[in-house]
Amino acid sequence: MAEKILDKKTLTKSYHKWMMYNLVAMSFEFLEAMGFALSMEPIADKLYSDEPEKKKEMMERHTAFYNTEPQVGALINGISAGLEEQKALGNTGITGELINSLKIGLMGPLAGIGDSMVPGMLIPILLSIGMGLSSNGSILGVLFYIVAYNCIMYFGSRYLFFKGYELGAESVDVFTGEKAQQITKAITVLGMTVIGGVAASYVKLEIPAKFALTGTEIDIQAILDGIFPKLAPLMVIFFSWYLMAKKNVSPVKLIMIYFVVAFAGVGLAYLF
Amino acid sequence: MLLQAIAISVFCYLGALSTPWLLGLTGGWYTITRPLVSGMIVGLILGDLKQGILIGVAIQTVYIAMVTPGGQMPADLNFVAFPAIALAMLSNASTEVAVTLATTIGVLGTIVFNLYQVVNSFWNHRAVAAIQEGDYRKFRLNAIAGPQATNFISRFVPSFLVVYFGSGFAKSMLDSMPQYLIDVMSYLGGVLPAIGIAMLLTAVVKENSLFLFFLLGFVCIVFLNLNMIALTIIAAVIAYLYYTGSSKKSVVMSNGVIDEEDDEEEF
Repeated sequence: MAEKILDKKTLTKSYHKWMMYNLVAMSFEFLEAMGFALSMEPIADKLYSDEPEKKKEMMERHTAFYNTEPQVGALINGISAGLEEQKALGNTGITGELINSLKIGLMGPLAGIGDSMVPGMLIPILLSIGMGLSSNGSILGVLFYIVAYNCIMYFGSRYLFFKGYELGAESVDVFTGEKAQQITKAITVLGMTVIGGVAASYVKLEIPAKFALTGTEIDIQAILDGIFPKLAPLMVIFFSWYLMAKKNVSPVKLIMIYFVVAFAGVGLAYLF
Repeated sequence: MLLQAIAISVFCYLGALSTPWLLGLTGGWYTITRPLVSGMIVGLILGDLKQGILIGVAIQTVYIAMVTPGGQMPADLNFVAFPAIALAMLSNASTEVAVTLATTIGVLGTIVFNLYQVVNSFWNHRAVAAIQEGDYRKFRLNAIAGPQATNFISRFVPSFLVVYFGSGFAKSMLDSMPQYLIDVMSYLGGVLPAIGIAMLLTAVVKENSLFLFFLLGFVCIVFLNLNMIALTIIAAVIAYLYYTGSSKKSVVMSNGVIDEEDDEEEF
């Protein structure tokens, strides 16, 4: 990879276009395809400045259906830029089909890694810290979240984009190989532990049932607090997970079920 | 009130999932549409910063772990973050009631979002046709300007209507609501975060042994009373040990294939 056509300015422009426009025209039919094409436009301009037919062919290639976690997925844009450059330089091993099948092959795994790392781990951690700092109405936690999240994402995605460009097709192994899978799993472990803490902090349910039995009053919540405080919220979470993961109940349906249960539960409490 | 409603609705548009102007997803959807941040913005606009942040923190708890795989969402967080928080502040709702109010608006908002995606199919086909004609100006027009005009209308108009006309209605509705309904809403407000967490578990958990780590984090907060920073550090140490443990084993295994079953015995 000695020869280069793309300079840093063009690549940075492509990266910025992707970060801005990744979901710009999202539809069920194309999802992020238009965003991908927009991010490839500066690359196509540079590679085929005086070959409009080839530019058109490249742009058409990148309007195919595309969907991944956009921020971690910046890696794929970098890889595509690198491969398009090699193709323009006349490397016959790299065809349009290869580039497209690489994109399709990578978008699934990276969506999985990206979703579990960004909204699944990074965001809950940063939000929890921010909410802790702002729980008294202070502005500090809000500012912490804004600065921390945007810095991590802007520079992190930028790193992935340029890494993808440098490594080209090799990066497929680097980022989906065995070692990468172990790292992803370790990060999932981190995320799960933190989410457990988030669940304990923010899900609230107390059972107000009290029974008068042979003169002494039995308060169910007080008994639970002595054994395992927060047992009821934990049960609710597992029950919700079971319905969603095993019974395919949609989240909206679950909200409605909870509404009915709360309605009936409070009604019962009023009766006694 | 007119200017405030306009300002809130403009922010609502800026924070929508597909608005590009604040570095796209990163600065919009994942920053100003987090209720923690939008609470501050709405609070500033309505002149009560502290109350805005407090409501923002309360509503953020419901959506702390929400993932939107493939653009599918159970609640339109953008409508939660702006019109719903504004409505809650203007009607002086308690934080628990605000949570339920916001969730209801969020669920209704998904209809608007799905409609938006359907309309975008129209723009997408025109954009692809423009590339086939080799007209890149027309391509950008149909890939950026068209969808964003649609996006602006679908965000600004509902948000403005809710904030401008809904606040008086919401206040009188909450004032006349019986204690029974307010109790129901308070309970729901406490339980709804469970749905966001369960969604995340559904998306992330591929093997049941991961629930052990979830339980560990839960217990650290309930019994050890750790704060979030301490828990994150502990979680990072465990993740590191997990990583070194699993990479040592894969060296031992000659064929290099990771046996998923064995991972549970590491701990």
